[in-house]
Amino acid sequence: MAQADAGAESLAAWAKIQTVLQHPRCLNCHQAESPLQGDLRRTHIPHVVRGPEGHGVSAMKCSGCHNEMGNNPTSRTPGAPHWALAPISMLWQGLSGGALCRSLKDPAKNGKRSLEDIVTHMGSDKLVLWGWNPGAGRAAVPLAHNEFMKELRVWTAGGAACPQ
Amino acid sequence: MVTLKVNGETKEIDASPEMPLLWALRDRLNLTGTKFGCGHAMCGACTVHVDGEAVRSCSIMVGEVAGKSITTIEGVSGKVADAVIDAWQKLDVVQCGYCQSGQIMSAVTLLSSNKTPTDRDIDLGMEGNICRCGTYVRIRKAIHEAAKALA
Repeated sequence: MAQADAGAESLAAWAKIQTVLQHPRCLNCHQAESPLQGDLRRTHIPHVVRGPEGHGVSAMKCSGCHNEMGNNPTSRTPGAPHWALAPISMLWQGLSGGALCRSLKDPAKNGKRSLEDIVTHMGSDKLVLWGWNPGAGRAAVPLAHNEFMKELRVWTAGGAACPQ
Repeated sequence: MVTLKVNGETKEIDASPEMPLLWALRDRLNLTGTKFGCGHAMCGACTVHVDGEAVRSCSIMVGEVAGKSITTIEGVSGKVADAVIDAWQKLDVVQCGYCQSGQIMSAVTLLSSNKTPTDRDIDLGMEGNICRCGTYVRIRKAIHEAAKALA
């Protein structure tokens, strides 16, 4: 019975986690060839492409506009360390909540991370944390970071349950 | 104080680390060859090099590039830059000229990493540099011309 409860809690926690991971602040760069921009999720202007390492090509690299030190309050260009498209193994566009959940806990699709590694990554990676501090004119992800971390721990403690 | 290395010279400026590099170049160091276009990293008029890579100086902040090697249109030099500038003059690329310093800086970065760019390579690499006169066909031709000269 306790196990079933934990599973149900885990599933309920995932429903909240999913709203963050499917928010434009995360999903806009978990794309195959070109990132999207803004809350409307339109194509990135200017047009940029992944390139061989996920950082763009020749005179159009991510770091040509996005600062590692953070958002530029004057140009309003967002920034954080290692700004880039997510690796090809982590394409989340078009995934259902269940598919995203299974993808997130699959080491072949999550950068070889254990569940514990995922919690650490979500808690401390500066590019992930940018989702809570995206700069003027952009909505932050929908759950406060401490709430999000609480839900992540509930999700993993209950067996990282995924919806169908 | 922020220390910037611009065109080989070390300059100290009294500025917040969040000041856009373009402000420092034009207003503090009087290097006005780099132009202000949109102020939002959308047009490329302000393109300069940081450690050889093309960056939009309206968007990159001075704190981000402190200690790195910054090159503007006034200081760009070398084989690739010479070939690009020669091709620009030979094909009479410039119309009004406002975007051209940015176009040239991006073209130099493109040709420094790709000796034989295709039309698509040029279009993708130069995508961030807008020309209000629409000289894109001549720009593309001049980059091919410079690549030929460098071969």
